[in-house]
Amino acid sequence: MLGKAVSYGSLWDFAVPESVAESQRWVLSAMHRHGQALVKMLWRILGNEQDVCDAYQDTFLQLAHYKGGRKPAHVKAYVFRTANNVAISMLRRRMAERRRLSRPTAEKNLTPSPVKELDAKYLQEALRMYITQLPEHLRNVLTLRDLAEMSYSRIGRILGISPGTARVYRCKAIQLLAVWMNREE
Amino acid sequence: MAGKKANNQCRSLRTRLYTAMNKHIGSQANWARNHIANCPRCQRRLASAGKVHLTLSFIKAQPHGLDLLMRANEQAVSVLKHSLRREPEAQALKEKMPKPLEKYRKYGFSIGNLAACMAILFLMKVGVFSSMDSVHNQGRKVFEQYYVRNIGQDLADEVF
Repeated sequence: MLGKAVSYGSLWDFAVPESVAESQRWVLSAMHRHGQALVKMLWRILGNEQDVCDAYQDTFLQLAHYKGGRKPAHVKAYVFRTANNVAISMLRRRMAERRRLSRPTAEKNLTPSPVKELDAKYLQEALRMYITQLPEHLRNVLTLRDLAEMSYSRIGRILGISPGTARVYRCKAIQLLAVWMNREE
Repeated sequence: MAGKKANNQCRSLRTRLYTAMNKHIGSQANWARNHIANCPRCQRRLASAGKVHLTLSFIKAQPHGLDLLMRANEQAVSVLKHSLRREPEAQALKEKMPKPLEKYRKYGFSIGNLAACMAILFLMKVGVFSSMDSVHNQGRKVFEQYYVRNIGQDLADEVF
């Protein structure tokens, strides 16, 4: 009797992981299919390799736990939107932390010098900071178009808007960023 | 077939319309260029938009480590369920390296041909120059011989 119970138990142990693996294998497929493009986009948003790994992990963890492990209708759209949101949250946290740490010296650096203006690293950090301040709909289009290098039709499919709207949003985002970067001078 | 042809016609019409519109009302139109040349406000706006584009290209040009995809996959797989972690696909993901972009794959053959042509040109150039050198040396020897014969060894040595 006991032997039977043990054998059923071990059978059950084998059966559960099999079914889980079978049901969630699409997570690995999604990682395989979209991983490279996702890493590229995250790297361009964050500019830090450890942060990229953390955001990537967070994205796939959220995907695996979506509605109790169910597969979303549009995996690619879900993955890219989640990664975008995760990366922007991380970037905001980083900016806030940096601001907090550099507050005592902030008064000294109010006006950037011309040399600093031309510094690529300074420009990148400034642009990243302004991207976090963009309205969500403009920011999503800008990151997908300029940092993930997707076509407008694909962006439209991911965000559920028309390619024309995506084009307009991107144009608005660039205009806003230009105004903000100009104001800084 | 007919659908494809019509599609191509549509595309060429769209391109022509876009070009014509750009020529007359785009930023490349003459009147727009003239205005920008004389308007400081537009110049400022254009410069700041250019700055945004420049910064975006800086961001895009910055490369990441080659093993970043591998590390990201490894970290992401490590938090998935045990059963998924044991999958052969998960193991493959941990060793995955970035591939060249799919859209450039079709140019692979052309790039290979171009590289072969460049190599042939380089070899030809090397060959031509080494031949030129040998011709130069031979000519010099002939002239030296001529001077030796006509004005003597001592004077020829002074000349060469």
